Amino acid sequence: MTATTSDNSADPQPRPSFDWITFLSRWGTLISLGLLIILFSIGRPEVFMTLRNMLNILNQVSILGMIAFGLTICLVVGLFDLSIGAMATFGGYFAARFLMELNVENGFAVVIVILVVLALAALIGMINGALIAYLGISAIVETLAMSFVATGIILGISGGRTVYATEIPEAFTIIGQGKIAGIPNPVLILLLLGFVLWVFLEHTQTGRNMYALGGNREASRLSGISFSRYALIAMAISGACAALGGLVAGANLGAGRPQGVGDVYLLNAFVAVFIGASTMKPGKFHILGTAVGVLLIGVINNGLSVMGVQTFWQYIVQGGILILALISASLNSVRRS
Amino acid sequence: MTAQDIPAASGSDAAIPAPGPDSAREVLTIKGLTKQFPGTLALDDVSFGVRQGEIHALLGENGAGKSTLIKCICGAYSATGGDVLIEGKPVQITSPADAGAAGIAVVHQHMNLVPTMSVAENLHLGEKLPRRAGLLNWSEVHRRARQVLDRVGVDIPTTALISELRPEQHAMISIARAVSAEARIIILDEPTNALLPHEVERLFDQMRVLTRKGHSFLYVSHRLSEVFQIADRATVLRDGRLSGTFDRSNMTHAGIVGAIVGRDGALAERRVRSHSTDGTLMRVQDLSGRRADGISFDLAAGEIVGIAGLPGSGADETMNLLFGRRRSTRGGIEIDGKPVRLRDPGDAIAAGIAYVPRNRLAEAVFHADSVRANVTLPSLAKYLREPILRLVHRGREDEAAREVTERMRVRMPGIEASIDDLSGGNQQKVVLGRWLSTGANIFLLNSPTAAVDVGAKKEIYDLIDELAREGKGIVFASTELEEYALVCDRVFVFAAGRVAGELRGEDVTEPNIMTLAAGGALAA
Repeated sequence: MTATTSDNSADPQPRPSFDWITFLSRWGTLISLGLLIILFSIGRPEVFMTLRNMLNILNQVSILGMIAFGLTICLVVGLFDLSIGAMATFGGYFAARFLMELNVENGFAVVIVILVVLALAALIGMINGALIAYLGISAIVETLAMSFVATGIILGISGGRTVYATEIPEAFTIIGQGKIAGIPNPVLILLLLGFVLWVFLEHTQTGRNMYALGGNREASRLSGISFSRYALIAMAISGACAALGGLVAGANLGAGRPQGVGDVYLLNAFVAVFIGASTMKPGKFHILGTAVGVLLIGVINNGLSVMGVQTFWQYIVQGGILILALISASLNSVRRS
Repeated sequence: MTAQDIPAASGSDAAIPAPGPDSAREVLTIKGLTKQFPGTLALDDVSFGVRQGEIHALLGENGAGKSTLIKCICGAYSATGGDVLIEGKPVQITSPADAGAAGIAVVHQHMNLVPTMSVAENLHLGEKLPRRAGLLNWSEVHRRARQVLDRVGVDIPTTALISELRPEQHAMISIARAVSAEARIIILDEPTNALLPHEVERLFDQMRVLTRKGHSFLYVSHRLSEVFQIADRATVLRDGRLSGTFDRSNMTHAGIVGAIVGRDGALAERRVRSHSTDGTLMRVQDLSGRRADGISFDLAAGEIVGIAGLPGSGADETMNLLFGRRRSTRGGIEIDGKPVRLRDPGDAIAAGIAYVPRNRLAEAVFHADSVRANVTLPSLAKYLREPILRLVHRGREDEAAREVTERMRVRMPGIEASIDDLSGGNQQKVVLGRWLSTGANIFLLNSPTAAVDVGAKKEIYDLIDELAREGKGIVFASTELEEYALVCDRVFVFAAGRVAGELRGEDVTEPNIMTLAAGGALAA
């Protein structure tokens, strides 16, 4: 018996075939992370797949991770923060400078200084948020401008001079160089920050309202959610996280450099967050996804250098994976429309 | 009811002789067109023809198949069956380029113009611009643009920016572009949605000029009065099937409405309800904004009050003022006897007002989020574990989301399903349902049944009815005038920023609303 094709097309399909596009757009980045780890483990089993190297990878990405977590928050609200590079430099330099000027020695005072620096960074972030929300300025341009201003202020106050290790108390450098139970302090700080921000975004009303604003700003307004308030909070968190990252970088380095600290992290942080937005929950910025993005960058960089591959490959592989991640995410949305 | 009774046809068209379409010549013939989508038959054996020099209206409810039909004609979709004939000859149209070659052009609702560019540049969009010595020859660009505009008889400077022009001029520029591409059949997809009555009038005048030059229009609209005003013939689709083709001689209001709605339609029945009119919930006094002036009325508990009017009449502005979307310049609102200040929607929500906006996708749905999150967002504060960190109690939130979706009979895989995977009707039930848990007593519903299917419409009507019976006060607006008669106890009709009249009970009819909205007076 033969059936005409036009008749068949109308039949509902009782058994839906496996949906590869949805599967890949959700799990593609995690799968590629797994594949890379397997690849590097086979390539250099004695070096790559060791506890030491794993902690090393985490330590290497911890600063990037802190900055990327902060950036995740403002991207959730739908705002780009390009000032995070400058804010990282800000945090690292001013923490060192204040400690030097005040000649602080004891641990408690160091904590106070750090909190003050983070509060200053949060304040600058709030200024960003206020300019964006109340004047309706584009976040990209405003934060870029603010990063120039911050860079200039740091250069002006520092006179271009680095604060050296001998001028900084050990209670500060230990933040970047010490370990607790064998785990480097920056990794612990990263995990703690990640957990706090994850709870904040996923389990508090403030976080949920931020997702709502990022999803549909007008619908949020009609549900009684004020954009300006959350823009201020998000930009403050982003600024403080970037400053924290820079501060830990400074402690790790044992120096307060007035330039070039944060610039390295700016683009990588965006890469990590956007890879994250194509992971597990396609199209949604979230902390777990960002963590995957950060890890992916760390594994690529560490793995390729452990394999003895030349540095330029790190850029190519990293860029390629980002493009693949974006393609898989867009496949899903293209089909939906 | 006959065509002459339609108020918006203010007599001006009577002066212009009928263009007299050449009935022998069909320029566009649709023969047995069928379009099958997975699960739905969007077009089922549709046949009709457009004659040379005629304005042919294409009517039908949302989802009746109008858009699908247009997309099949212009090559955006390929039909599953049937033929499109141009001048009696079958043509294969599989792309917009084919449609252009066959002399068909579509002018979409949003006109596809670049607002920051000049009229001349927009008329040349997608074409190779004239050059001289390798550089663009601007004087030639403008000269050609002038020629095109002169052909359609439009007097607009070619250097003007699109953003400086009026909405009906946008429509004319789009039509001019179609004419310059030698289109003989111009499909207008709801061109008048953003237009005020006098702008519509000017657009129609220029369309009539073009029909005398032999161009034909297939004209999609929801506004029946306009159809009577301009169309030579009308074809009505319903549920993907041809429901009727009318010409001037048999084009009656009742006939067309019957063809659109269907005799068995759930819409046809007037919903008989009884209401308390005591217990004033909200008192609006002299409320005024930029586009509405001196609005006063009382809303009783359990009452459904309609706010009707054409775009720009002040009806929309009133809804916005009542929800604090726009600030009032004068007057005020009292709820339960206490004056309330509405500076933003947050104030309105705090005062117990709920709002369902007209444009669901742009203004109400939180995309890429779950049904649960879409339901609970405005009432999240009720499900917090503690007030400082504002941690949300997921168990209580889930319970609330389940309760609402069950009451609203939302059909979905589960509360964690993505809102984007739901049908329009179910999305709308989620949007309405989110206000059930905020404790709102006053519901502002702006076209709550826009772009939902007939079944969901009925469910939404039932819910509105239910809310009223529970003693909520409801302010209702719709782009589909017949809905006022189905839903409302009384209707305020707006014209020129003011209340032009109030209709109650049996007087709430589509023609009465139309008459008042068009600035006319009701027969005593």
